[in-house]
Amino acid sequence: MVSLWGFMGTNRGEQLSLLAMSALHEMANIGLGHALKSLSELTDKPFNMAIPQVDLLPAEHVHQLTPDPEAMCVGVLMPFCGDVEGHLAFLFPWASAQTLWRMLLGSSPETPADVDEIATSAMLEIGNIINSSFLAALSDFTQLHLESTPPMLGMEMVGALASSIMTEAEMSDSVVLALETSIFDAANETQGYFMCIPSRSGLTVFFKGLGIEEAA
Amino acid sequence: MGDIHVAKGPAKYQCIGLGSCIGLALYDPTTDISGMIHVVLSELPSHRDNEPLGKYADTGIPELLRQMTGLGARTSRLLAAYGGGAHLFSLGSQTSTTLRVGDRNIAAVQKLLESSRILTVAKDVAGGAGRTMIFHATTGVVTIRTLNEATRDLCNLKEAIRGRVAA
Repeated sequence: MVSLWGFMGTNRGEQLSLLAMSALHEMANIGLGHALKSLSELTDKPFNMAIPQVDLLPAEHVHQLTPDPEAMCVGVLMPFCGDVEGHLAFLFPWASAQTLWRMLLGSSPETPADVDEIATSAMLEIGNIINSSFLAALSDFTQLHLESTPPMLGMEMVGALASSIMTEAEMSDSVVLALETSIFDAANETQGYFMCIPSRSGLTVFFKGLGIEEAA
Repeated sequence: MGDIHVAKGPAKYQCIGLGSCIGLALYDPTTDISGMIHVVLSELPSHRDNEPLGKYADTGIPELLRQMTGLGARTSRLLAAYGGGAHLFSLGSQTSTTLRVGDRNIAAVQKLLESSRILTVAKDVAGGAGRTMIFHATTGVVTIRTLNEATRDLCNLKEAIRGRVAA
């Protein structure tokens, strides 16, 4: 059986210096720390995250969220612009999305077909809050002007969502690296998967903002 | 994503979770040579090198044809089936206009197949659903499944030629 799911860009062989890598880690820690704080305030539940990874395009890593690339997921995608362009995305497995809905609305849609306007805007709001606080923290840290754009919602197979996000990011510029991590609450009822995908030129600007000369 | 695979004789290919990407299956019934590609974008950007050829329709489909003819297939005999090119993300109730990657991919694949004079037996494209496409080259059957729909046959690339010969 030949499977045409998986790799993307693994043969590019691009390397970043240790300094640049640790700067990206720090950026992810700060940005996500703020984002999770906002999510915790919104849901009244503490959230944690795994150590963020700085890696090649993350479509191949989505199995950390679910072993099944055909599993139903809810995704919030938000392009950002300003001094740096790129994409932020959150993916929640269906059961986790339902938990979030119950926290916010008191009840949850049974199936994706039941997701009405209220549920849609609640999920978009979650994405908005997480992403905006991530961007605000990043902006403080790097002194760069970063602007969020309206989030978009997708409910589909996780593999299809992840590859569509990557494709969308690739359309704007050659994207090489992404920050990614999984998040979870204390009771492990909610899991999510976060990606920050700056454009190639954006990555260089990021590093300049941090005082690192790096040809990304 | 961006993979190209070809085989002579029994084979099975699958593209799991196609969003805006396109899975294209080709088959030459005379030589029993099959191939499949998972196209991500329509065109290779001019400023890029070192990219997998199969990622882009304009470089990947010619490469797939080259590999298949290298095994002995003939382009004029090939039969095609493809699926994908969906839009998964929408902004509230309206679909975003920037996310037209799927449409572009569909147009690019269609154009390349037409210019190579390859007959398209069946396609399942566009819409809002992610798809998993499986090509059983051994039997010729191409199946599609989505989250809302159980696996169903899109077409049979082996039977299609019999039908055409009979006609």
